[in-house]
Amino acid sequence: MIGAYDFCGHYEWTFAWLEREGGLELVRDYWKEAISVDSQRHARDLIVPQGIAGMQKYWQHTLEEESAEFAFTSDKETFRIDMHDCPSKGFLLRNDLEQYCDYCDHCIGWIGPMIQDAGFVIDHEHNHLGKCWWEFRAKENTAAPSESGTFAGDRDVRLADDWNQGQKDRFKRSVSDEEKVN
Amino acid sequence: MSDPGKVGGLPYQDTKPYGAADFYFAINATFRFLIQRLGHEGWRRYLDEMAANYYRPVWTRWKQGGISAVASYLRDFFAAEPGAETTVQAIGDSVVLDVHVCPAIKHLREHGREIVPEFCQHCYFQGEGMASRAGMAMRLEGGAGSCRQTFYADPVGVPEQDMAKIRRVSA
Repeated sequence: MIGAYDFCGHYEWTFAWLEREGGLELVRDYWKEAISVDSQRHARDLIVPQGIAGMQKYWQHTLEEESAEFAFTSDKETFRIDMHDCPSKGFLLRNDLEQYCDYCDHCIGWIGPMIQDAGFVIDHEHNHLGKCWWEFRAKENTAAPSESGTFAGDRDVRLADDWNQGQKDRFKRSVSDEEKVN
Repeated sequence: MSDPGKVGGLPYQDTKPYGAADFYFAINATFRFLIQRLGHEGWRRYLDEMAANYYRPVWTRWKQGGISAVASYLRDFFAAEPGAETTVQAIGDSVVLDVHVCPAIKHLREHGREIVPEFCQHCYFQGEGMASRAGMAMRLEGGAGSCRQTFYADPVGVPEQDMAKIRRVSA
């Protein structure tokens, strides 16, 4: 049986298999159709109708279930996640598993289409070492993402000693992994 | 693998004792996507190549440790699957795994998910994919929530898998 315990391992392996089979286009279709629309419909059912309240409910459940170290910060306009220890990337790093070129892209790959359907955009940055941050705002809200520590305080992952150790990828007002700005 | 000497029958170790059950949603959705895009042949090839490559650390241990390594893996594997109820018995040169409650089918049903009808076949294609590479054989009977999987140390004389004995999951 293919299991849940080492899910992140065979999930990451699957990205590489799909890329060999049908290129990046098939990988992106997989994130959107299989994960965003099919697997994660419980996330959509909360976030599309409820917006920020739904984000809080969905990620509280799923990040606790996955034993992540994280912090939420929100107001009426913005929902922010500071991920201090990603359980998914952490599993891969601890077990020395790397088949796909950029595992971290899968998050915005499936979250992006859902957030777009909810009428939001994403500012996001990850360092490929299990740390990242996300800010979600309504697409009509043109505010820039917060500066380090100004919204999340000392929970801001960008203040962590090892934040700058990894190779960072950045997304600005994005809804797709195709919109990486660096 | 960075540390082949890890404790227990699992080659990949996590910091939490159980997997997150919602990952079964993604496994089921992955199968549906692959069957729709690549057909059943593509899905079976995916499972076989996963068995050959991703699960190489598992069947390598089986090849080295024999049928007792299979039993050890199965016990540790299902102990980490949320909601699983299984028994593992060594009987002669074989290991019989009785899945009394399949954790995936249970979770998918509890959450009203449409389960891929061929879902239970994946255990055969993946299990036999690993067993054959270890010089063994695996056969499956039942499905749709409970099943019996038998691993044979010697594949000689083991009848071919009768696919009709693997139940489809009804809507």
